[in-house]
Amino acid sequence: MFQVSNLMVFYENALAVNELSLEVAEGQMVGIIGSNSAGKTTLLNTLSGLILDIQLKERRKGGEHITVLGTITYQGRDISLMPAYVRAREGIVLCRERHPVFGDSTVMENLRIAGYLKNRAQIKRGIDLAMELFPALKALTRRKAGLMSGGEQQMLAIGMALMVEPKLLFLDEPLLGLSPAMQQKVMDAVKKALKMANTTIVIAEQFARPILPVIHKGYVIENGMLTMTGTGEELMANPEIKSAYFGI
Amino acid sequence: MARRLERLDRGIKVRSDDVFALNSWREMLYIIAPRVLPVLLLLVLGLAATPYWQRVIMQACMIGLLAISWDLLASVGMVSLGQALFFGIGAYIAGILDHYAGLGPWLTIPIATVGGAALSTLLLLPVLRLRGIYFSMVTLIMPLMIERIIEATKIFGGTEGLSGLQPMPHALVEIIAAMAVVWVALFSFNRMMSSDYGLILKGINDNDRAVMSAGLNIYLYKAQALFLAAGVGAFAGAFVTHAYQFVGMPVFALDYSILPIAGAAVGGMGTMSGPLLGCFILVPLNELLRGLGGMRTVIYAVLLVVFTVGLPEGIFHFIKRKYTQFERWVEVEQ
Repeated sequence: MFQVSNLMVFYENALAVNELSLEVAEGQMVGIIGSNSAGKTTLLNTLSGLILDIQLKERRKGGEHITVLGTITYQGRDISLMPAYVRAREGIVLCRERHPVFGDSTVMENLRIAGYLKNRAQIKRGIDLAMELFPALKALTRRKAGLMSGGEQQMLAIGMALMVEPKLLFLDEPLLGLSPAMQQKVMDAVKKALKMANTTIVIAEQFARPILPVIHKGYVIENGMLTMTGTGEELMANPEIKSAYFGI
Repeated sequence: MARRLERLDRGIKVRSDDVFALNSWREMLYIIAPRVLPVLLLLVLGLAATPYWQRVIMQACMIGLLAISWDLLASVGMVSLGQALFFGIGAYIAGILDHYAGLGPWLTIPIATVGGAALSTLLLLPVLRLRGIYFSMVTLIMPLMIERIIEATKIFGGTEGLSGLQPMPHALVEIIAAMAVVWVALFSFNRMMSSDYGLILKGINDNDRAVMSAGLNIYLYKAQALFLAAGVGAFAGAFVTHAYQFVGMPVFALDYSILPIAGAAVGGMGTMSGPLLGCFILVPLNELLRGLGGMRTVIYAVLLVVFTVGLPEGIFHFIKRKYTQFERWVEVEQ
């Protein structure tokens, strides 16, 4: 369904993503595991098309040259040069890191803004889905999003991404800054969302412990390079992963 | 084979950043030339020009000072839309001291610089706590308000203004003094911004809460920056007052607020040199177009749009990048 081959991203002369190839099959949950500065966010920005916009803006203000090489294929089509907003319409949606929500709007407004492209019935279905996945949001519908806790904002951000009815959903560090209990809650909801929203999910995370048991397939990246691939169980059994991510 | 554009520092730049610069005339020249050449060029232009164009250069210097002051404020996170406030207060203090007390330019200009800075800082002190657009709105409205107060109360000559003030000793003194002050302001502020003190100022723009967490009173620093910037603006006002031997309500006009910002947009913000360069392009250009009559504003505006759309980083940043870095295409191994 979604293939990436030989992807390279340069920020000026620094190589952020190095000859990375990966493949995502429909209906799967795929994990991208890497520590800080491994290139996870750059990778997801590239896959969702945001990098094209960043590239343009940097070039216009005379900032860093960003070079993107390699091909991204989605449902048999090369989408390497497709702008982010077209990709979102095609069903490739990114939920960015640090739970970006519209701080001055209420939870309900946020969900409606996210569903702008959809019709009334779809919006209603989307809101129902978000409320079912994250029951905690039910009591908060009239609350200003900017004043909620990090965990609540993260739940809302995922709910907003699901409003677009994505065929392929990228989650960038959904567990960032959450307590272990909250992490588990979010992961349970993500697992449920995979089935209920009938979608495909790619999660980039540095916390491997809650992620690995859930994913069908995992890619471990270091310094922008792919170092290991395998199913969740295989990676969990790997001694290097154990020492690097579980501290055993 | 895939290619990408690589951008690297020039060898001479890397060498002259280091102590090696002292070993070779070429490296020393590389550092000194971009600082000395503009000074010399302006000096020659200023001395060779006709009296009319000398006035234009003086005007450009004064607008340039306002632009430097604007850039200093902007790099502390205070975007001022009212440079005319500083300019006008300085102009009126100098005019009043000369008209009523008969002090000459050698006394009025220093007093107006310090007094104008203090008065402007006091006036804006209550809005220092406002961030972003609110500070801009207040600064935009203040000069216009003072202009109306003078019109309504008829103080200091009212709409007539104060005329017949003492002139500068000599046209040559005037032009040289104008240039000297511009260069002193530019180089000393640039030096200041790269010191530890400047680091705090830049930090306030970047993340004021982090500066507060470091135990620094950001309002004190903001007030100091405002005092410095207002002083530069007030000097420009006082200087122009004596050059034209007149002060009146037009010193609070919107032009003095807009031109420095236009200069900053054309020249490139954040370096002080950029806005100054922008003013040295825009002010003479404005005079050149004077022969065109009504079309002047149209052409001027179109040029402004072309500059800001075509080179959003600003001319100065563009030149600086070309001077310190080079670009080449390299093949990427895949």
